[in-house]
Amino acid sequence: MATDTMIESDLDISQLVDKPWVTIVWDDPVNLMSYVTFVFIKLFNFTAEHAHQLMLQVHNEGRAAVTSGSREEMERDVQRLHEHGLWATLQRDDKF
Amino acid sequence: MSEFSRDGELYSLDLSLDEAHILINLVEQLLELLGEGDFNHHYDESDPFAQLMSQLKAAPEEIIVPDDPVLLRLLPNAYADPEAAADFRRYTEPTLRGKKKRNLAQVRAALEVIVDEDRAGVVEDLDSETWLMAINDLRLALSVRLEVTPDSYEYFEALTDEDPQKPIFAVFFWLGWLQASLLNLLSNG
Repeated sequence: MATDTMIESDLDISQLVDKPWVTIVWDDPVNLMSYVTFVFIKLFNFTAEHAHQLMLQVHNEGRAAVTSGSREEMERDVQRLHEHGLWATLQRDDKF
Repeated sequence: MSEFSRDGELYSLDLSLDEAHILINLVEQLLELLGEGDFNHHYDESDPFAQLMSQLKAAPEEIIVPDDPVLLRLLPNAYADPEAAADFRRYTEPTLRGKKKRNLAQVRAALEVIVDEDRAGVVEDLDSETWLMAINDLRLALSVRLEVTPDSYEYFEALTDEDPQKPIFAVFFWLGWLQASLLNLLSNG
């Protein structure tokens, strides 16, 4: 008899949910805080407040997940962040 | 010290001749490092900045992870996994490199007018976001060569005037100040 726990552990949850990938922005000692906030607003249409909070999370915790979505969407986001000189990677959400 | 100014949607930058020379030298060296050498150079090899970026080598035939740390910072890996990073790089790096070169080339063309007329001047009606990204890439490039850390300003202040790193750090912090002045204008309206 299979318990609920076993069913859960057999499933790769990331295959089932809509947004299994995340874009991570990493802290660096060079990019200005105001620049990082500006880029978040410009690329992702975040509110100034949300962009500011994410920038602080990058600064204080060393990294922050800024967007989530399909792998293709995250690759586009990483590419645009690289165009702006931010240090970004993408990975599966379950690894973050 | 020069800074950006704004009149409505028109942005401009008032530069001394010395500042224009410093900027165009750095822009040209970074263009070369990115693989673009097809222009008249304004710096000579005795320039104290000429050694910063001058590691121009023939571009590898394959698109691989750059061994120059400046290039690796400007064209970073998108994945922690080396195989996924290499695949992504093969498809996307030429586009990324091309955009960075176009930004720098646009800044270079505007600066060339000032430098070639050998006088202080104003760069008028500049594309603010192109300049913002180009200045950021210059700062990133210099920071790799200078091994910048969060404590670098204190380190810079403690350097003697004779230290060869001093003027380079000074330019790095000047660029940060210049970028902040542009960001301030962009963020207010």
